[in-house]
Amino acid sequence: MEILGLVNYALFMAIFIAIYALLALGLNIQWGFAGLFNAGIAGFFAVGAYTSAILTSPAAADRIGGFELPFVAGWIGAMCAAALVAWPIGKICLRFRSDYLAIASIGIAEIIRLVIKSEPVLTNGARGISSIPRPAGDLGYMESQAAYLVIVLAVLVAVYFLVERQFNAPWGRMMRAIRDNEPAARAMGKNVEYRRLEAFIFGSALMGLGGALFAHFNRSITPEAIDPMVATFLVWIMLILGGSGNNRGAILGAAVVWIIWSVSEIATDRLPHEYAVQAKYIRLFLIGLMLQLVLRFRPEGLLPEPLRGDRRAAPTERDRS
Amino acid sequence: MTALLAMEEITGGYGDADILLDVSLKVGKDEIVVIVGPNGAGKSTAMKSVFGLLTIRGGRMMFDGDNITGWAPNRIVQRGICYVPQVDNIFREMSIHENLEMGGFLKKGDLSAAFDRVYTLFPDLKERHKTLAGSLSGGQRQMVAIGRALMLDPKLLLLDEPTAGLSPKYMEQIFQICRDVRDTGVAILLVEQHAKQALAFADRGYVLAAGKNRHEGTGADLLADREVAEMFLGG
Amino acid sequence: MDFLELLNFYVIPGIVIGSIYALGAVGITLIFAILRYAHLAHGDLATLGAFVALAVVSGLGVSPLAALPVAIVATAAVAVGIDKVFYEHLRERPKIVTVMASLGIALMIRSVVQVFWGVDTQTYVRGIVRPEDYFGLRIRDREIYTVLAMLLLVGALQVFLTRSKWGKAMRAMSDNPNLALLSGIDNKKVVVLTWVIAGGLCAAAGFFLGLNTELKSLMGWSMLLPVFAAAILGGVGRVEGAVLGGLIVGVAEELSVLWIPSEYKAGMAFVILLFMLLVRPTGLLRGKVL
Repeated sequence: MEILGLVNYALFMAIFIAIYALLALGLNIQWGFAGLFNAGIAGFFAVGAYTSAILTSPAAADRIGGFELPFVAGWIGAMCAAALVAWPIGKICLRFRSDYLAIASIGIAEIIRLVIKSEPVLTNGARGISSIPRPAGDLGYMESQAAYLVIVLAVLVAVYFLVERQFNAPWGRMMRAIRDNEPAARAMGKNVEYRRLEAFIFGSALMGLGGALFAHFNRSITPEAIDPMVATFLVWIMLILGGSGNNRGAILGAAVVWIIWSVSEIATDRLPHEYAVQAKYIRLFLIGLMLQLVLRFRPEGLLPEPLRGDRRAAPTERDRS
Repeated sequence: MTALLAMEEITGGYGDADILLDVSLKVGKDEIVVIVGPNGAGKSTAMKSVFGLLTIRGGRMMFDGDNITGWAPNRIVQRGICYVPQVDNIFREMSIHENLEMGGFLKKGDLSAAFDRVYTLFPDLKERHKTLAGSLSGGQRQMVAIGRALMLDPKLLLLDEPTAGLSPKYMEQIFQICRDVRDTGVAILLVEQHAKQALAFADRGYVLAAGKNRHEGTGADLLADREVAEMFLGG
Repeated sequence: MDFLELLNFYVIPGIVIGSIYALGAVGITLIFAILRYAHLAHGDLATLGAFVALAVVSGLGVSPLAALPVAIVATAAVAVGIDKVFYEHLRERPKIVTVMASLGIALMIRSVVQVFWGVDTQTYVRGIVRPEDYFGLRIRDREIYTVLAMLLLVGALQVFLTRSKWGKAMRAMSDNPNLALLSGIDNKKVVVLTWVIAGGLCAAAGFFLGLNTELKSLMGWSMLLPVFAAAILGGVGRVEGAVLGGLIVGVAEELSVLWIPSEYKAGMAFVILLFMLLVRPTGLLRGKVL
């Protein structure tokens, strides 16, 4: 029985790691390769989760949706919806330095949160949307978990190869050129804003997909399902620790951070109640501190960005002046 | 001639690449010295090397009896060298007076003598001392920039292409300002794109090409030199 | 609805919340202009300031206004400390790395507040304060204090920036950092000064938000967006612009409920932010665009 429990827990953890790895890959496209600062990951995640929920759940009174579409349609819809939200934000903010995108993405995540809370016709308000079908969900408990893990891993592997191929293609070279020396890329006639917009939309779509995978795994989605700041921040620390610019690093970071995060939760849950609440916030403090330490002592992460043929020494501030 | 500034076989550049190769030059007291040369010859780089803005890998920089090689710009300013960059050389959103005040930032005590000196040199600026520097014309901006650099009573003034983008009328004005400044006892080293006019006005000149010394002499001599003329003065 | 009602229910509360935004936005705009990055921990720093004041109020039993100076000094010290420990060594790296670090700092400050003060809402003083009537205008004392304190603090800052040597040095660093360094201005001192001012104003913003509403661990974070909108609306680097921007955002938020559901009041700041970036990124008073 104990072993069964452990296996179940491992499956559960692996599914979460795979979902977070998808988010980290999405962020890697934005930050690692295009240098775009998205602080609204949770927002795109939520858009994906709710879109897929609306498209695939059975009909319900008092709200739009219940189209009972196959889950694949829900997932594609989730990606499209997240991309559609990303488009206007990117269009407006990507002309400027990434600081502006950081602020605007915090804003869009906030707006999405407001919409979810205030539009019960769309999201069923605080109660959320339940009975979202899980692929292979009618198997036994553990078999269903295992089957879902296989599906999620398949999605992750497909996305990994897709992203990896893009990075090694001329597109990826161009992105890196823009990130490392924007004036030079501009001078060579690259359409910098358009390329960035592509990266921002592509990355956001992956975050939407991550949200959809989460909703179907959970079989329901509520406004409280994720803490926006914590989720966003966890993805950031995963990418930075794993190695921004490196897809394998993003996945490794997701695994390492999620394991630390979950194990520390188990540890703090064993504390007496009066300390357990405080311990939760101390964990948040430590994860924030971890980012500071990584930024200071190992900014390249566990797996640094691979040196591809097109990478030259980064230009210094002076060369540009 | 006792040199105020002696740059002795300086080799260096930004990052790992050497732009200057064994460049030597001298500036005497009360002298206007100009560096000319084709684009990319390392003229501005040579000037920045005096001010400690690049990595020097060979040679040494002597100023007024001190070896200032490798000093931080901050220390060099206090030792008596002020530098006027080619672009962005004023505080646009501050008044003329405040620009000068910032120039004298390191000076302890009263600035009024320094203000008097600059305002005597540039009466135009005194009249408009409350005007925002960013709203001035190109020539007046150069006055502010030079005035700012004079606030610390430097012994040597470095001017990086002070006439770039100015009309001939203003160019003549700037050259006149340089002579006036020199006459108050400040030596000037400047980099010029307009080689012909600059050599005609300077006391001495150096011609750099590809990061190396090519020619040196009085302005008149250089102007008369056929090789110099063919090199970049357009024959 | 008559004009007086419009003033009483929308404009006056808008000016009060706008003054609070202004206090935050001035700090944001100084950091943006001098240090050249968006400081995402600003809201949570304000939360910390508010709770420090609460600790003084409940610990010493003094009136809230007497606790304000303590909160200002303490928060300014914390801001300088955060810069020294976490931001300083990132100065040579691309600025966006510091933006990221500041997101982490936001989380860290918030969790410190949650550990020490919990997540329940609290207030400085118990009970309901009824507004006084001034020729039909209904205004509470604390609302007057808020607006006056904002004007006083920002006024003092303006005098400092335009009259004192170091204030001018701060403006010079914002205007043209390379030339400021060539002039021998000590960047480190300017940075410390910037944090002292931004941190102190932050504490004031948090304090007055707590005084006019209530204290909770997320109060500052939810103020971040309006504060940035205000700074950008006014023009980055413009202190008077940040005040103007703060007041406009505050009043716009309050007035917005006349047309849109009140749940979306908080969205106004976002709309203003995007609108400004779209049509006039330099802001009303022609500030910088990074």
